[in-house]
Amino acid sequence: SCRISSDGKPAKFQPPPKPIIIDRQKQREERRFLSPEFIPPRGRTDPHKFYIERKDMIQRRKVFNIPEFYVGHILAVTTADPYANEKANRFVGICIQRGGKGLGATFVLRNVIEGQGVEIRYELYSPRVQAIEVLKLEKRLDDNLMYLRDALPEYSTFDVNMKPVSHLDHEEIPVNKLQVRMKPKPWSKRWERPKYNIKGIKFELPEKKMKEAQKWSQPWLEFDMLREYDTSKIEEKIWKEVNEELKK
Amino acid sequence: MMPIWTKSGKKHAVTLLKVQDCHVLRYISKEESGGKTSKLLVGGKNASPFFKSESAMKIFKEAGVPRKQKVATFNVTDDALIKPGTPLYAAHFRPGQFVDVTAKTIGKGFQGVMKRWGFKGQPASHGQTKTHRRPGAISTNKAAKVYRGKKMPGKMGNIYRTSFGLKVWRINTKHDIIYVNGSVPGHTNCLVKVRDSKLPTYKDCNKNPPFPTFFADGDEKLPEDLYDKEIFQFTDPSVTYA
Repeated sequence: SCRISSDGKPAKFQPPPKPIIIDRQKQREERRFLSPEFIPPRGRTDPHKFYIERKDMIQRRKVFNIPEFYVGHILAVTTADPYANEKANRFVGICIQRGGKGLGATFVLRNVIEGQGVEIRYELYSPRVQAIEVLKLEKRLDDNLMYLRDALPEYSTFDVNMKPVSHLDHEEIPVNKLQVRMKPKPWSKRWERPKYNIKGIKFELPEKKMKEAQKWSQPWLEFDMLREYDTSKIEEKIWKEVNEELKK
Repeated sequence: MMPIWTKSGKKHAVTLLKVQDCHVLRYISKEESGGKTSKLLVGGKNASPFFKSESAMKIFKEAGVPRKQKVATFNVTDDALIKPGTPLYAAHFRPGQFVDVTAKTIGKGFQGVMKRWGFKGQPASHGQTKTHRRPGAISTNKAAKVYRGKKMPGKMGNIYRTSFGLKVWRINTKHDIIYVNGSVPGHTNCLVKVRDSKLPTYKDCNKNPPFPTFFADGDEKLPEDLYDKEIFQFTDPSVTYA
């Protein structure tokens, strides 16, 4: 704009507005994801053993791509099967649990096929697994969705020929705050008890039952110092190591 | 313990054993020991030389080796003798061999008869007075005595036991690690004696083992990892069935 303003006097110099730089590269790298099976469990084993196991895991990841996924994602897994028609077996389901550490890490996929609920446990590093595709990225409120067994079957049904939903790399993974409705009691586990700490169920039980369930709460557990296992430093070290190896 | 997969897709559990600073300590001839074969004393993990008497340190001083935490005897034939002081490595074993592993089992302390010997005990209810985990009768009327070796409560565990016929799947020469099939007696990080299997089914199993042992300064240059031919190596693509 002109320096001379409308009254004729020279106006004070207004510097131009600073440009806002959105560094896509930096934003993308900021989200660090370390697969939970890399974190060694607390115990007396030699840390050297975990280092050797990690080398094998990284070697497998170089050859076969294991995508980043959490509990609540919808995955499609193709495994080699000697008894199937095409010698390959494809299963689509929601990941309800990720367990195991090191090479024996597993995840459980659940789906309801023709009215029958089916859960299959796959090993991440098994050589029979041929492809893992993430169809829908969606985190849920809990880490363990085992309560879907006692929920209404509509919450566990997913289309077998579902198209993968696109997801940009730098965006955060959306959290689905769905509250699931349950079948009438009895359930396989008493999910209302505080030990399971489930936030994703819409409990339609009477107030009296909910209060009675709180009797089993153990409020001293969160202050127990011997149970603390701070993994932040270990995670950083392992994340750096894994990333360096994978880039080679 | 770790999983490994074969080329057909089957999973096996495997124990990792590390060969940590093993040296040959002494040679005992047939006449000296009074047995059928001559013996070689081999020492394991390094330990501090202090708090030990001079007589105990004599063997290590003669071999020129730091004090070892565990010393084991191996019965050896006369053509397989090794000079005391030579280091032993994991490459002494090859994948496809069968080994026996001996170690002290996990100590469980003083245990009752149900845990120690697997007795059935007595029912929990229906009128039992103060008797639910007791041995019951210990002998007959005619014997009029209790036989020696009667199974009774006592200290359980912390004794030497061997698992026979374990297959060696993989050897890591850089870190000296042997991958042995199945489980092995003892707790994590305990000291273990590994020996060629003496089961009759595996008598002719070892084809061209390194004899008498693998020498690191010799001409043989081994790759970092030695695999059995049936193992699935992670550098290969995924398994498919034709």
